[in-house]
Amino acid sequence: MHSYYEEDVILQTGKSTVMSWIRERELSFIERLTANILKAGPMPKHVAFIMDGNRRFAQKAHVKRQEGHSQGFEKLAETLRWCLNLGIHEVTVYAFSIENFKRSKEEVDGLMELAKQKFSRLLTEQESLEKHGVCIRVLGDLTLLPADLQQLIAKSVMATKAHNKCFLNVCFAYTSRYEIANAVKEMAWGVEQGLIKSSDVSEVLLSECLYSSNSPNPDLLIRTSGEVRLSDFLLWQTSYSCLVFQSVLWPEYSFWNLCEAVLQYQLSYRSLQKAQDLHREGQALQQMDADRTCVAELLQHRGNGKPMDAQSRQKELLNYTASREERVRCFLNALQHKRDTFFSDLSSQAVVA
Amino acid sequence: MVLLYEMVWRFLHALLYVQRALVAWFRVHIWRWKRAVVGLLLPLALGFHNPKKTGAIGKRTSRRVRWGADGRTLEKLPLHVGLLITEEEIHFTDVANLVVWCMAVGISYVSVYDNQGVFRRNNSRLMEEILKQQQELLGMDSSKYTVEFMKNGTDKQEHQVLSCQSVVKVLSPDDGRLSIVQAAQQLCRAIEQKEKTSKDINVTVLDSLLRESKNIPDPDLVLKFGPVESTLGFLPWHIRLTEIISMPSHVDVSYDDLFGALQRYATCEQRLGK
Repeated sequence: MHSYYEEDVILQTGKSTVMSWIRERELSFIERLTANILKAGPMPKHVAFIMDGNRRFAQKAHVKRQEGHSQGFEKLAETLRWCLNLGIHEVTVYAFSIENFKRSKEEVDGLMELAKQKFSRLLTEQESLEKHGVCIRVLGDLTLLPADLQQLIAKSVMATKAHNKCFLNVCFAYTSRYEIANAVKEMAWGVEQGLIKSSDVSEVLLSECLYSSNSPNPDLLIRTSGEVRLSDFLLWQTSYSCLVFQSVLWPEYSFWNLCEAVLQYQLSYRSLQKAQDLHREGQALQQMDADRTCVAELLQHRGNGKPMDAQSRQKELLNYTASREERVRCFLNALQHKRDTFFSDLSSQAVVA
Repeated sequence: MVLLYEMVWRFLHALLYVQRALVAWFRVHIWRWKRAVVGLLLPLALGFHNPKKTGAIGKRTSRRVRWGADGRTLEKLPLHVGLLITEEEIHFTDVANLVVWCMAVGISYVSVYDNQGVFRRNNSRLMEEILKQQQELLGMDSSKYTVEFMKNGTDKQEHQVLSCQSVVKVLSPDDGRLSIVQAAQQLCRAIEQKEKTSKDINVTVLDSLLRESKNIPDPDLVLKFGPVESTLGFLPWHIRLTEIISMPSHVDVSYDDLFGALQRYATCEQRLGK
């Protein structure tokens, strides 16, 4: 059974201007009007989606589960187009959780096959991707995936690394707890390598060690199919995001559902800004306190009995902060290099038979 | 053209604001009306059936029994309920009511949270309100529902009781991200002292370290009160599978509102990835 979308893609095979991951379709007049009205208010810059409901949709439409997932992907392509039309240039999606490996072998293999298909397709569309400046990132424990899929992913990420007009982050073999624990592990690695001290560990540093470190926190998180939980998705990053739970099944998602979510974001905007500001202030204070404590300890160790005047103490504090920031900068560079090497090594490996 | 869109946007938001205000007004006034009517009819009903059990004591006993029974009718009851208040102005009596109702229904762990740390700073006031409402709503025989207040170990003023069935905990943003950071610092210090290597760190290790200092069970349900659609920093690590049910406001919240949410929780299906 060919869906409308599949036919569309098949007909346009061979055309290099088409992107299979972002549908080429302009908004209708009413849709454009609505978009323009919404854009008069604050708009989210980064939206995260939990694309739930593919299997329930398949049951409802009396098709196979695999078809449900396929249509789910097509809906993703459509939604990305809508996001671009609304000026939302960064999207993160929950494609596959580490918990999903518990599903039947048939379903998991089907999903891996779908992913391989889509990433392979992506690699043939370099020109379009460059033209639209699409940067694809994949977040998760990629070592859990089949080797050939890992390589396709690495190639896609490397190919689009330098693009910077819009960003698509795909969470694959991902759970938030794993991501957080991994960030802690990276900081521990930094300490092991002598790049940072344990006292340098802070909320800000942990955020920089997450897979999503190159993205700002999502402004808006949307979950479809009526479930009202986060299911181990971006738990750290969405602490102060607007959460919208919608009952529509993912393959049935419409432009109007998206507008509804954006409207909800706009209604919560002021309160969220306030909460975020409060949190940032708290973070800054904590950092300053931590620095002061470290300086006090240092001075004690260095101590020659003479009490320091306020001005020299302030100078010491500034020096300490500057050296800490330099340490952290070097560490983050080393971490980025480690991650880049992982992807470049993976993508340049000989093709696995 | 841009100005026109802006005007329409402002108009749209003004409409939504008015709609919200109207809904909130109706909700409060209809509930007050209902309560007044019940207040008139209940004594009559009780007087008719049980001439002995009239008065405040009778009312409390029947309510307590009813609430306990309600809890048992639910297919599943959450072990830990988080009460997340997003509203700026906090009404302690209403929060205390919610806590007492949760306990009466059979929920063994109730946490109270707001992102500005108001509950943290007014911990004793909240405790007093809860004990007061416990007395008011559940009556003299409150020993069955005695409460253990926990406040992060620094507060010596703990009401220790012999048979505690429920635990009430006040939480703040420090119990969230900051706790994770503190655990991370602890692990890094262990690395510095060569007690551990970075390869030893994984989800299980981090999880057990977090439980060591503050053993907060993962919330099964978070009841979010107020118009802000966010968890506002509530226990990010712990809420991975938590159902988040939104309620319009904690002001003048009724038992039926709470029970409705618990019924909704009882019907949700967790597939856990499968």
